[in-house]
Amino acid sequence: MIYKILFPTLLLFLAVTSCQKDFLDRQQPGELTFDKFFQTPEHAEQATNAVYNQFRSFDCVGLGYLGCTDIISDDSDKGSTPNDQPPLTDIDNFTLDPSNTYFSAVYRGYYRAIARANIAIENIPQIDMDAALRDRLVGECRFLRAYSYFLLVQWFGDLPIITRTLGADDYYAQTRQPVAEVYNQIESDLLAALAVLPEKDAYPAEDLGRVTKGAARGLLAKLYMLKKDYEKAEQYCMEVINSDKYSLLPKYADNFKQVGENGAESVFEIQAAALPTQQAAGPGASPYNMIQGVRGNPNLGWGFNRPSDNLVTAYENGDPRREATVIYVGEVLPDGVTEVKDNPEILNERFNQKAWVPAHPGLQDNGPGNIRIIRYADILLLAAEALNENGKSGEALQYLNQVRKRARGTNQIILPDVTVTDQSQLRDRIYRERRVELAMEQHRWFDLLRWGRAASVMQAVGKNFVAGKHEILPLPQTEVDLTGMPQNPNYN
Amino acid sequence: MKQIGTISKRWRSSIPLLLCLFFAQIAIAQVRISGQVLSGADGSTVIGATVKEKGASNGAITDIDGNFTIEVSDANATLVFNYTGFTQKEVALNGQTRIAVTIDEDAGLLNEIVVVGYGTQKKSDLTGAVGTVKARDIERIPSASVDQALQGKIAGVYVTPASGEPGASAFIRIRGTGTLNNSNPLFVVDGMLLDDISFVNPQDVESVEVLKDASATAIYGNRGANGVIIITTKRGTSGRSAIVSLSTYYGNQQIAKKLSLLNASEFAQMYNEYKGTNFYTDPAALGTGTDWQDVIFRDAPIANVQLGVNGVWKKLQYNLSGNYFNQSGILEKTAFDRKTGRINAEYPVAKFLKVGTSVAYSSALLKSVNGGIIGSAYRMSPVFAERDSTGDFTDPTFFGQALANPAADLFYKSDWRNRVNRLVGTFYTDITLFKDFTFRTNLGLDKWGVRLRYFEPAFEVSNSQRNPYPRTSRDTTNVRSWLWENTLTWNKEFENMTLNVLGGQSAQEYRNELRRTINDTLQPNGQEIREWAMFSFIFRTNATFFDRYLLTVSLRADGSSRFAKGNRWGYFPSVAVGWNIAQEPFMRGQKVFDRLKLRASWGIVGNDKTQEYPSQGIITDELYAVFGPNETLDSGATLINYANPDVVWESAHQTDIGLEFAMFNGRLSAEVDWYRRFTSNILADLPIPDYVGSQATPVVNSAQVRNTGWDFTLNWRETRGKVTYNFGGILSLVDNEVVKLNQAKSEILSENLGQGFVTRTVPGQPIGSFYGYQVDGIFQNTEELSQYPKFGNEKPGDFRYKDLNGDGILSDLDRGFLGSPIPTTMYGFNAGIEVFGFDLGADVFGLSGNKVMNAKAASTRFAVYNWERLFFDGRWTGEGTSNSVPRASEEGLQHNTRMSDFFIEDGSFLRLRSVVIGYSLPRHLLSGIGMSRLRFYASGTNLWTKQDYSGFSPEFPSNNPYAVGLDRLYYPMSKTILFGLNATF
Repeated sequence: MIYKILFPTLLLFLAVTSCQKDFLDRQQPGELTFDKFFQTPEHAEQATNAVYNQFRSFDCVGLGYLGCTDIISDDSDKGSTPNDQPPLTDIDNFTLDPSNTYFSAVYRGYYRAIARANIAIENIPQIDMDAALRDRLVGECRFLRAYSYFLLVQWFGDLPIITRTLGADDYYAQTRQPVAEVYNQIESDLLAALAVLPEKDAYPAEDLGRVTKGAARGLLAKLYMLKKDYEKAEQYCMEVINSDKYSLLPKYADNFKQVGENGAESVFEIQAAALPTQQAAGPGASPYNMIQGVRGNPNLGWGFNRPSDNLVTAYENGDPRREATVIYVGEVLPDGVTEVKDNPEILNERFNQKAWVPAHPGLQDNGPGNIRIIRYADILLLAAEALNENGKSGEALQYLNQVRKRARGTNQIILPDVTVTDQSQLRDRIYRERRVELAMEQHRWFDLLRWGRAASVMQAVGKNFVAGKHEILPLPQTEVDLTGMPQNPNYN
Repeated sequence: MKQIGTISKRWRSSIPLLLCLFFAQIAIAQVRISGQVLSGADGSTVIGATVKEKGASNGAITDIDGNFTIEVSDANATLVFNYTGFTQKEVALNGQTRIAVTIDEDAGLLNEIVVVGYGTQKKSDLTGAVGTVKARDIERIPSASVDQALQGKIAGVYVTPASGEPGASAFIRIRGTGTLNNSNPLFVVDGMLLDDISFVNPQDVESVEVLKDASATAIYGNRGANGVIIITTKRGTSGRSAIVSLSTYYGNQQIAKKLSLLNASEFAQMYNEYKGTNFYTDPAALGTGTDWQDVIFRDAPIANVQLGVNGVWKKLQYNLSGNYFNQSGILEKTAFDRKTGRINAEYPVAKFLKVGTSVAYSSALLKSVNGGIIGSAYRMSPVFAERDSTGDFTDPTFFGQALANPAADLFYKSDWRNRVNRLVGTFYTDITLFKDFTFRTNLGLDKWGVRLRYFEPAFEVSNSQRNPYPRTSRDTTNVRSWLWENTLTWNKEFENMTLNVLGGQSAQEYRNELRRTINDTLQPNGQEIREWAMFSFIFRTNATFFDRYLLTVSLRADGSSRFAKGNRWGYFPSVAVGWNIAQEPFMRGQKVFDRLKLRASWGIVGNDKTQEYPSQGIITDELYAVFGPNETLDSGATLINYANPDVVWESAHQTDIGLEFAMFNGRLSAEVDWYRRFTSNILADLPIPDYVGSQATPVVNSAQVRNTGWDFTLNWRETRGKVTYNFGGILSLVDNEVVKLNQAKSEILSENLGQGFVTRTVPGQPIGSFYGYQVDGIFQNTEELSQYPKFGNEKPGDFRYKDLNGDGILSDLDRGFLGSPIPTTMYGFNAGIEVFGFDLGADVFGLSGNKVMNAKAASTRFAVYNWERLFFDGRWTGEGTSNSVPRASEEGLQHNTRMSDFFIEDGSFLRLRSVVIGYSLPRHLLSGIGMSRLRFYASGTNLWTKQDYSGFSPEFPSNNPYAVGLDRLYYPMSKTILFGLNATF
């Protein structure tokens, strides 16, 4: 009797004991692990798409992004109700504390984009797949990495340059590299991307919105402008212009409507879509439209990023671009129906019309608008600026007036052609044109920094801007605490 | 309640042996004595008790009615009565031939049997540090969970209620916070290993043993490093007639302490100051306004009914119980309701074979309110009413702050219910082989389903408090765990040596499936399965030499699926020695010590509790990109949460030296232990720099922590005539220190409340110490502003922080240590007396040496829009008015809410944990109506607390060791008064 029970039990015991090796081998059911990823062309594409995905995140294009671009500049104020989002108020007023949550938001957001790009750039080349597609995908990632560093370096100055996936031993050991090194990194990524990326029209239709040769040239031009290397800036602007892939849309305002998305004027934009969803935000959404949407009635959003009084007065008389940029109370929205009602909670309310989106499925969180990063008009004005710096004011005028002509439309009374050829006077005209043409598109702050005008301009609008300090943001306090990296000058 | 006999079944095997003894000796008897043995607790008959003549070897066993007959050598002989779990009783016959004897349950001081890992041991043979709490003490705290009842009961066991929410469990830290990782102990319920005991009905519990040192815990290897808690439920009692017991209570709970906030007129005055305007022209006219705490809190009932049957039916020993527990919460719309049933049974199939089981089913429903309603009430201005003049909920965003009207949240967000159905059981077979060997196979099963459902209707109170579409979200979790253990035990007595050798194998698998839907649509990454498995070998030897020298050696080898191949197997040894000094020949004549034992142990125990797949990078999908003219989704996936392939379990080297003694015939017993626990390779996901770009923080073997301390226990119990009284106490001293951080890190900063990190973990200090500026005073005037270092924008009335490093400028380098959230001293006292049917008992519990942070005030910037009274009363309003509380000013807010010692308060407290008064009707009144016991009682829980802390209560546990002691407004504690009865038939 004993043995009848004992024997099978022992047998079972032995069986269990011998199969413990498999018993202890566990992988998460239904999940792919890293060692099985980067094996197929699909993986290469997915890893690349994941980089694009990050640019729709709240960290990358949310309150922090708008705070550290438009709100910090003279183009706009915080907006929304007075006490909503005190950290943005602090940014608007140059009370720049290293613990401000939005500095870490953008810092974190773009470094995460860099990490996604790094892992793709490291691993895609090992995949056995079509070489052209493989190179293109790596090129896309290198562009997106360069774009991330391009923003970060303008905000924070010296940066740790991370170009590989860090292992546990490297987490705390990175150091800040000089701005020039960051520029070099951006340049090498963009040149490599330029070599392999297709032109805008060379992509299959379903890939519309991926980064292109034109985008790489455009960003190179911006980089050289930043470096004050006007020769090269001119070169890459001209390459974009002469590529014949881009033109100005006849109507300025169309740029910011659905019809303008990826249109003839679009050089690079972050793609978003309001897909039907049961959640607040759908899988293709960005928070960009919601944050800047009309707050109150109609309730389109939170109402941040209010076009400033100073911006409103910066336009020449009758410039239709002002109407296309600013939503006022009482105005009928671009849908032609809805009227914006006064919201007693907000003083002097105005909203960014360029971030306005028409009705779409789901909540306001489901932001469908593409975020325009580089427009052809931007390139034309950069070309004008570079040409003028290179002493070619005649050619510069041509591109400047091209932008003004489009803005003017059929109204011949307004926005006459600029004719000044004096380098300094023309420079001022180009700067002014950049401001109004690109207002509320997150360029202004970087332009002011690049021109060395941040201190004078911001102080002139009554901001507590400290020269020699506020040109760069403080590194996030948490980052300084964790790594011991030096803080930017004059920040405690 | 029946509290008898859990242990007895384990020693029941000795009964046949004694029987043989009895028959062998019967021949020499001369005088025939007969009688009956009754239990002192409830007067029921005791079956199977042994009766012996003192100084002789003849004996008898009581029959099914408790009767016995015995032949003794002399009419004046003394009889000795013994029954496992009861104190030995001696009765002098003095010529009587018919006697009735009442024996009492063992007070547990001398012959106590202690449950240990994979067996039981006599307390006197134990080489490890083990603390025990019996049913009586567990039943005293009206709670759904057993762990709450352990607070202040065992030295070295620090129990903190997770919150005051109905049905809430507790956090348990055994001998300090051993790790930066999960510090929760392992639970073993009737042989099933698990991490959560919320299904256990406290009234089913016979005893709880806490294994504290390596000698006791190393047998649990990779799961023992934070201590092991063994819960034994009540078993069918051998040799007793069937007993039906009923117990019930009903009571009322009240919030133990409210926060002190401002009323409407005070608020208005403060608001005007804060804004520097005259917004409220006549603050006084506003009166008291709304007390939002009164809106959300209430008095709430608590009720419990337990019915049990215990007995033997045709050799089947059984204990059946059913329980209904219903606790409404002191927060409106919260409630916990649980039904549990349990079947414990054991059946001897043959002489060498017995089978048994212990199965519990529990069905619990928790109702709650979604969102931070307590925080909303805290921040809400008292000038608002719940509803406006039109009857709608008041829109509270008048001040531009996105506040939520708590009354509206109660109305719209309270359809939140979490149902947990759970079946936990063990099934075992014992086979006795060749007399000395026992083989046991034990199969354990734990299966539970959690159904969380939340419905929110469409509503709009304000821009920020609204929901445009009705929404039903469901989280469905299914957990399944099985355990199979096979052990072989060899018990052998040699001359001068007894040996107990245990060897075995254990395998366990755990699987957790989660599915998350909103409006019946599966959410992105809303389906997740996690599994772990462990395979182990167990070995232990207990040896006793000459009745006084004890040796325990144990080893467990654990293979854990959590780690990569090559890092998988861990070996956990322990060695312990003990010396029963009182048994030495040279001690034989002394009358001072009944027991005197010295013991020492050393061992290595592990902890593998971390994520299930810390070494495997898992690809995140659904990272869509949008492309094409039709804006379609392109699938995206990559690694965004980094992993660490080199990760291994953490290991704790533990040393314990203990002294136990008992004096005055066992009336006094005491225990002192010194221990050191050194944990290395600590598994933790430390904050990493953002430039790494990983969304999750990978788990690394990151640090070393040392806990050293003392545990003291002292108990006195005595019966004098009709009076039985007892008192006792525990005292624990712990010193927690981080020894080293790996990865060349000098510090771990954590818990960013909006203005940087507030806790810091550095070598030489306790884990998660508070870190920030020290307030040196308040800038009184503009001269002072120029005299002292400052950040820049300070005005008179703002904090003047200390320039800690003395470099003449204020910067983040001037932050320093502001105190530790880990108590250094924990103590508890208890006392009880029973006389003339009355029983009275009380427990107090206290902590000291810990700090807490008023994080609610810091993170909400003094709770704007309301203020705490201490801020109102003490604020600076002009030169000389205050040197400790800053001005009320929006302008100074950023500066004055930097993490500083202003937000740090003393976390010490002393609490009257429970007080009980009961009356048991005399037995002779009850026997006529078929009852053996009827007791009425009243009890109070948490009736009185002495605390310095300004918040609800100073207990803020967390599974995150860097976030302990932060008051983020948990569900507050309640005080409870209840009335109950215990009846036995």
